[in-house]
Amino acid sequence: MTNRRAFMKSGAMAVFATGLGGIPSFIAATAGERKIIPPYKKTKTLVCIFQRGAMDGLMAVTPYNDPNLKLLRPGLYMSPAQTEGQLFDLDGKFGLHPSLGSLSPYFTEGRMAVVHGVGSPNKTRSHFDAQDYMESGTPNSKNTPSGWLNRAIGLTGHEATPFSAVSLTAALPRALQGDHDALAINNLEEFVIQMRGNPLAGNMAANSFEQLYDQTSNQLLKQSGKESFEAMKMLDLKLANNYTPAPGAIYPNSPLGKSMKQIAMLVKMNIGMEVAFAESGGWDTHFNQGTTNGSFARNLKDFSDSIAAFWKDMAGYQDEVTVMTMTEFGRTVHQNGTGGTDHGRASCLFVLGNDVQGGKVYHKMGALDKASLEDNRDLPVTTDFRSVFASVAKKHLNVVDTAKLFPGYEGDMLYL
Amino acid sequence: MRYIVLIFIFISLAFTVEQFNSDQRLQMPYKKEGLSEREAVEHLLSRLSFGARPGEVEKALAIGLEKWVQQQLEHSLPGAALEKKLSGYDALALDNETIVNTYLNAGQVVRMMQKNGTLSKDSMAKLEKADYRKDLLKLMQEKGLKLPQELNRQLVAQKLIRAVYSENQLQELMTDFWFNHFNVSVTKGQSQPYVLTYERDAIRPHTMGKFESLLKATAQHPAMLYYLDNASSGSDNNEMNQRIKKMVPANSKLKKTAGLNENYAREVMELHTLGVDGGYVQADVTEVARALTGWTVRPMMKDGYGERLAKMQQSRLGKNMATTEGDFLFLAVRHDQQEKTVLGKKYLSNGGLNEGLEVLHQLATHPSTATFICKKIATRFVCDTPSATLVAAMADVFTKTGGDIKQTMIAMLNSREFWKKEVLRSKIKSPFELVVSAIRATNADLRNAYQLNDWCTRMGQKIYSYGAPTGFPDKASFWVNTGSLLNRMNFGLAIAAQRIPGVGMNLLGLNNNHEPESVEDALQTYSAILLPGRNQKENISRLTTLVRDEALQARLDKALASTQPPTSIEEDKLGAGDMMGDAMTPKMGKGKDKKTPPMETAVSGQVAHVVGIIIGSPEFQRK
Repeated sequence: MTNRRAFMKSGAMAVFATGLGGIPSFIAATAGERKIIPPYKKTKTLVCIFQRGAMDGLMAVTPYNDPNLKLLRPGLYMSPAQTEGQLFDLDGKFGLHPSLGSLSPYFTEGRMAVVHGVGSPNKTRSHFDAQDYMESGTPNSKNTPSGWLNRAIGLTGHEATPFSAVSLTAALPRALQGDHDALAINNLEEFVIQMRGNPLAGNMAANSFEQLYDQTSNQLLKQSGKESFEAMKMLDLKLANNYTPAPGAIYPNSPLGKSMKQIAMLVKMNIGMEVAFAESGGWDTHFNQGTTNGSFARNLKDFSDSIAAFWKDMAGYQDEVTVMTMTEFGRTVHQNGTGGTDHGRASCLFVLGNDVQGGKVYHKMGALDKASLEDNRDLPVTTDFRSVFASVAKKHLNVVDTAKLFPGYEGDMLYL
Repeated sequence: MRYIVLIFIFISLAFTVEQFNSDQRLQMPYKKEGLSEREAVEHLLSRLSFGARPGEVEKALAIGLEKWVQQQLEHSLPGAALEKKLSGYDALALDNETIVNTYLNAGQVVRMMQKNGTLSKDSMAKLEKADYRKDLLKLMQEKGLKLPQELNRQLVAQKLIRAVYSENQLQELMTDFWFNHFNVSVTKGQSQPYVLTYERDAIRPHTMGKFESLLKATAQHPAMLYYLDNASSGSDNNEMNQRIKKMVPANSKLKKTAGLNENYAREVMELHTLGVDGGYVQADVTEVARALTGWTVRPMMKDGYGERLAKMQQSRLGKNMATTEGDFLFLAVRHDQQEKTVLGKKYLSNGGLNEGLEVLHQLATHPSTATFICKKIATRFVCDTPSATLVAAMADVFTKTGGDIKQTMIAMLNSREFWKKEVLRSKIKSPFELVVSAIRATNADLRNAYQLNDWCTRMGQKIYSYGAPTGFPDKASFWVNTGSLLNRMNFGLAIAAQRIPGVGMNLLGLNNNHEPESVEDALQTYSAILLPGRNQKENISRLTTLVRDEALQARLDKALASTQPPTSIEEDKLGAGDMMGDAMTPKMGKGKDKKTPPMETAVSGQVAHVVGIIIGSPEFQRK
């Protein structure tokens, strides 16, 4: 809040708001050709995608050479050698699921890294707890009031704007809750005072509200009201209504596709967004997971195509954006009785960005024989998720004090 | 002489103690804080109810302040209107067993039907196809099965309906408060089917009773046992268990080691009783978890092992192994029989079920609990940062009355702090409170309560879905943020313009069908109706200059007149298609609203605009 107030006082926002006229002309320019020098500092935008439900990391990025895998999940095993729907061989050991085809070029170009065997030191196999731990960033303490991405905003070392942290969800996710302001916007088009079918009345109402909130004796309402109207004015909804993505960027018409598209708009509006958050569901594949077709493949394709469209749309902005995915845990190495997999331990994640040391699968994965598995069933966690989150925050958001970002974490950092 | 004085002091001391054991007198010191009786009633209605309905201040004044509060504390006012509104919701009276065998997700149905041969094995592969889903839903309908979403809709709808229509407003606030204190969430799948009965059976009956009853009821309810995983917590420190392990073959499931789960044990101390600084350490968490091993849920699914368990319990050995109490199941074979020490108190070995109950008693009566609970109540009803003095005074009563919640509430109302000028209007309504108070203030007719769930969610409060065991934080800064504030304003505009289906409003009727003469007049009239007792000067003075602009007003009239309200509003017709309004559910029984909303005129449009602005205004967000 203090950061925010200082920013408001500086009048930078007012300058920017009156310069609103700049945005419409900016819309006319296609992606990334023009840049407004923003009146605030911004390091980069970190886009986090949470795959809720626990993605089967072993199917997304398969260690296909391990003979145990074929034994333990005969109905789910895939390889680069099969004639149809084969894996995309990454390095002679790991293969990318064909549904991730739209992302594979970025791996080849060295811009996308995979981290495998990643997870939480807390052994819970409850979605609810594991998500909570991953979002609070404290796997051993459930009552940490803030989420790690909210703390990250406070640790960037410069002032925040109303759009520093934005979640494209209806409610603010755990990861973004905390002392620093974060926005949850389900739909950019809703970020306006509106009377459907009557824009004039909507404008008048907005005026009235702005005056009323300016006069209230309740300081919190007054301050938040002021920030709301300033944020509202910063957003040019015409951009949202007439948005044309960069050539080749075709977003799937899915919740994740829509979220990624709106994140792209916000990046291009240049309003100081440093953390963006989106969700993808449907990963809890207890039954009928399928291989090249089926629920998992379809979901993975949506995931891949949404990110790939976003990346293409980011054309001139790619240097300023990093995408990181996460999921609360992985799934059992063996398949269960209903053609799916149950809750396990480690999974994998993807990091995409122009300065990511990509083209590599980072892992400490051992053999998948039963005796080497955690509790004889699960891919063991060999990389603490915090070692990745902390290094990404450090490198891409310029968060120096990672001890404050992940209190209690004393492990190594995995630099990508 | 000295002796006589001493005896006198002794007697009067005994008398004070005695007084505490019986009821305290309600003596609300509002006059000492300079409030008139009317101001006191306005404050009471904004804190002990979900906001005043039109005319309710006068009604409460007529009843008398103290009697009104007494009625609220006793919460036994009849409510025919409420009963009528709830009558269509068939799930509200169901027991857990019926619920878990009725509300199944598609996957569960498929598995069940594969098991009994109704469906072939390869049917799972087809589950994705739309027409197959349709068949499946048809099949579910034939078998009387329903989707979990429908249960959830009824759960959310009943909460809204009760909050709007119940005469026992404080009881609804307390239910909301205690549910949030002992939070469970429908976002945890295992817990979801039981949330409805949790509120109904574990929370509601105890809201104004003894804290310990509340603690015990929540601890033993399936919703909590699953939500915080105690249902799966077990121990091998058990003779029966060891003997069985020796008897069964090596590959038997019974050979598996039972594991301790500390989830509930930690939260029961940190969040439900002592508070995080209440004086316990990690070792206490483990000891409490051990004391509560074997506390689990009776199997209720028809195809589960419920029948086997029931049969087993008929034998003498079986009786010793498992005790049921309603749907709570104590599995003696999973209970840690060795001795324990909780917060310095020793529990001897072989304590059984009683041991856990004693631990809960120890926690409920711990001094840290009195302070923690009273601070939370004061934060809810007085202000975001209640003074230590107030909390201590309430905690004193809490302790002396054995955790009597009603008496603690009286202590709070008898304090001067509750009536202080700086406390008035200092709390911010939660989104749920905003929604309910808007409906109450406008005397709106709630025809399809579930429609309001979206608005609560947009404003940041997805009812029954707060994932973390802490519950929604009770402080203004959590509710007021940039995104949610705009949505509060939009909510005001939408509800007043009758753009929320299922909510009917007659705004002119509120003013005895007098048409206001100007926008300014409308502002004044409706501010007085919707915000009784509030300082209108602050609220509308600057607005008036804006709306006086005649040219603007003319344009507004024209614009509003051209806007059409929605043509039909769905009625609450439950049990039929409406409750299953998902894309995958065929709609049926969708009744058209008989009461067509009145033709919108320029005047009623103006009134709607003004009322929308009042509901979205900062003043209306305060309570």
